[in-house]
Amino acid sequence: MSEQLKVLTANDLAGGQVVFRTETGWSDRYADALIYDDALSADAALESARAATLTLADPYLIDVAAVEGLPVPTSYRERIRALGPTIHPDMGPQAEGGVLVHALQQARGAARSSGRLGLIRRK
Amino acid sequence: MFHYDAIDAAMVADRNAEFRDQVQRRLSGELSEEQFKPLRLMNGLYLQLHSYMLRVAIPYGALSSAKMRALAHVARRWDKGYGHFTTRQNIQFHWIKLSDTPDVLDYLTTAELHAIQTSGNCIRNTTSDPFAGAAAEEVDDPRVWSEVIRQWSTFHPEFTYLPRKFKIAVTASPQDRTAARAHDIGLVLRRNREGRLGFEVIVGGGMGRTPYIGATIREHLPAEHLLSYLTAILRVYNRFGRRDNLYKARIKILVASLGAAEFARQADAEWEAMDRPKVDLPDLELARIRASFGLVPFRTLPPRSERFEAARSDPAFARFARNNIVAHKVSGYGIVQVSLKGIGEVPGDCSADQMDALADLAEQYGHGEIRVTHEQNLVLPHVPLDDAPALHAGLVAVGLATPNINLVSDMIACPGLDYCALANARAIPIAQAIGQTFADPARAEAIGELKIKISGCINACGHHHVGHIGILGVDKKGEEFYQLTLGGSGAEDAAIGHVLGPALGADKVADAIDTLVEAYMAIRQPGERFLDTYRRTGVGPFKAAVYPDAHQA
Ligand code: HEM
Ligand code: SF4
Repeated sequence: MSEQLKVLTANDLAGGQVVFRTETGWSDRYADALIYDDALSADAALESARAATLTLADPYLIDVAAVEGLPVPTSYRERIRALGPTIHPDMGPQAEGGVLVHALQQARGAARSSGRLGLIRRK
Repeated sequence: MFHYDAIDAAMVADRNAEFRDQVQRRLSGELSEEQFKPLRLMNGLYLQLHSYMLRVAIPYGALSSAKMRALAHVARRWDKGYGHFTTRQNIQFHWIKLSDTPDVLDYLTTAELHAIQTSGNCIRNTTSDPFAGAAAEEVDDPRVWSEVIRQWSTFHPEFTYLPRKFKIAVTASPQDRTAARAHDIGLVLRRNREGRLGFEVIVGGGMGRTPYIGATIREHLPAEHLLSYLTAILRVYNRFGRRDNLYKARIKILVASLGAAEFARQADAEWEAMDRPKVDLPDLELARIRASFGLVPFRTLPPRSERFEAARSDPAFARFARNNIVAHKVSGYGIVQVSLKGIGEVPGDCSADQMDALADLAEQYGHGEIRVTHEQNLVLPHVPLDDAPALHAGLVAVGLATPNINLVSDMIACPGLDYCALANARAIPIAQAIGQTFADPARAEAIGELKIKISGCINACGHHHVGHIGILGVDKKGEEFYQLTLGGSGAEDAAIGHVLGPALGADKVADAIDTLVEAYMAIRQPGERFLDTYRRTGVGPFKAAVYPDAHQA
C-alpha cells in the first residue's frame, strides 16, 4: 500500500507563473516535478519552500494520482493550473505538449490511481 | 472627455512611486508576502491561477481613443496581446509580472489611467450608464455625478478601511444599464414635478453568496445633497457593518438585518446632524466638473439618413442595425454597440489589434469616445447615422461586428477556473458551447432578448443571480457541475433568479439552455421576452422540460 503521492507547487514571486519543486530547484514544467511518496519529506519540502520568500509566493502541496503510470493531479483545478487556460491551448506550459500534458488534458473529474507510477522520478 | 487636473495627476504619480518602492522591497525580501499582499491588492494586482492579474479602472466606463490605445499597448508589451473587460467597467490583464507592474502603472498614467479603487475595502470605481450623454431619455449626464463621487471617494480618509468593498452605480435614465439595484448603493437620477433633479437612493443590493436587490430609502434626494447623504449612509455602515465575518460584512447584510426602514432612519438621523454645507459639493465645483467634460460638437443632421437606409439592403448591415444600433438624443446620430461576444470567443476579451482598430474607428466616426458596459461590451456613443455603414465595415474587418446585443449569445461570463484562483468550475467554455448552440443569427433574433450570465463560483462576478438564465459553477465530488437559475434581472425590473433543479454536468448545460429556449418559444405570448414568459407561467413548464423524469410535485 503506497502513500498519497504529492507534488510541491508555488507561484514565482517576480513573474507569477506556476512553478514546481524538482530534484534540484524549481521548474515551470509540471513534467519536471518531483513526486513525493511519503508525507514527511513532502512536509519538509513545503517548510523550506515557505522559507524561500524571496523567490516564491504561496507554496503548497497537491495530491497526485498514478494514472496509467503517469502522475496526474487529482483535482481538475490543479490540472488546469499545471496546463494553462483550457481555452487557450497555446498559452502556458501546455503549449509545449508531450505525453504528460496530454495525460493531464485527458483526465476527467477527480483523477484516481490506476496502478503504479512508471516513468517519473520519485523522492 | 473628462481630464484630470494637476492635483489628480500628482496623486496618481505619488501612489505609483510608493508602489514601485513597495514592489522593490518585496523583491529584495524586506517585505514578507503577508505584509505585501494587501499593498499589492490596493494597487489592483491579484495573484491568479497562472499569473498575476492587473485590474485597471475605467471610471464610469468612459474611454477615449488615446486611452484605448494605451490599453492595447499594455496588452502587447506586458501581456499576451489581449485584455478582458469585466462586469465592473474595468479591464483585467491576466499575464502581468510583478516585476513589470510599476512600469505598467507608470505607462498608464501617460493616458490618465490607473488601478486605484479596483480592489480593497474602499469605495470602488463607480459604475455608470455607457450611454451617458447619448441616451434620449436621460435627465442629466450621469458621468458628472460619477466624477463627483470619484473625487469625493478617492483616498477618502474616513472610508478607506470599510468593513468590505463598496460599489456605487449612477444612472440617469429610466432604462437601467448599470445594475443599480445590485450595487451597495444605486442612484437613479430623476426630475420631480417641479423639474428639480434628485436621486432615488437604493441601498443594500449585491450578489455574492447572499444576493439582495437593493431597497429604496429615498425617493427623491435633492441632487445637491448627494455627498452629504452618501456620507451619512457610509457612516452608518462603517459603524455597524459586520467586521467580524467576511461573509456578513457587506452593507446588504446590515440593511437586511436592520430592515430598510430602520436603516433609512439611522442614515437620516446622521444626515440631519451633519454640517451638510461642509460636505456637499459647492455649485461652482459642480459647474467646473460639468464643464470639464466638454461638449461633443454635434452637427445638425436630418433625422433620416439616406446612406444608412440604403445600406440596409445588405442583410448583414440590416441585422447589425436592428440589434446593435439604438436611437441617439441628437437627430441623425446613433449609439453603436460593439459586441465582445463573437460566437465561440471569450466573452469580454479583446485583442490589442482590436483595441487599436476600435480607437481608430472611434476617432474616424465617433468623436473619439468609447464606453465599456457592465455587460462586457463596448459602445461608440456618438456615431452619425451616415457613417454607420462605414463603421460597420470597419468592425467586420476586425471581427467585432457580431449582431447579438441583448440576444442569447450576448452572455456575461467571469474568467472562472481558466484563470481565477477562487473558481469552482470553468465559465468560459460553457459560454462558448452556448454560443455555438445559438450560432444561427436568425434563430437568436427570433428568440429575442435573453440574458445569460455565468459565474465560476458563488462570488458571482458573472452576475448569475440576475441573469434571465443564471449559471453557477459548483464542484461536485471533484467534477465541474452547473446550477441553473431562472427569472433574475439586473435591470430596472431587478430580481434574483430561482434555482431550477439539481446541478448539471458540463456537457449537459448548452443542451439544457436549448431546451429552456424551446420551452419558452412554445408557450410565449406575443411580445413576451423569455423573462416575461417565465414571470407569467412560473418555473413549472421550464422545470418539466429540463427534468422530464423528476417526480411531479
Ligand atoms: C479573476 C479575478 C477575480 C477575483 C479574484 C474576484 C474576486 C471576487 C470576490 C471574492 C467577490 C465577492 C466579494 C463579496 O461578496 O464581498 C467578487 C465579486 C464580484 N466580482 Fe469579482 N473577482 C475576479 C474577477 C472578476 C471579473 C472578471 C468580473 C467581471 C466579469 C468581476 C466582477 C465582480 C462582481 C460584479 C462582483 C459582485 C459584486 C457584489 O457582490 O455586489 N470580478 N469578486
Ligand atoms: S465568480 Fe468566482 S470564479 Fe468567477 S471570477 Fe469571481 S471569484 Fe473567480
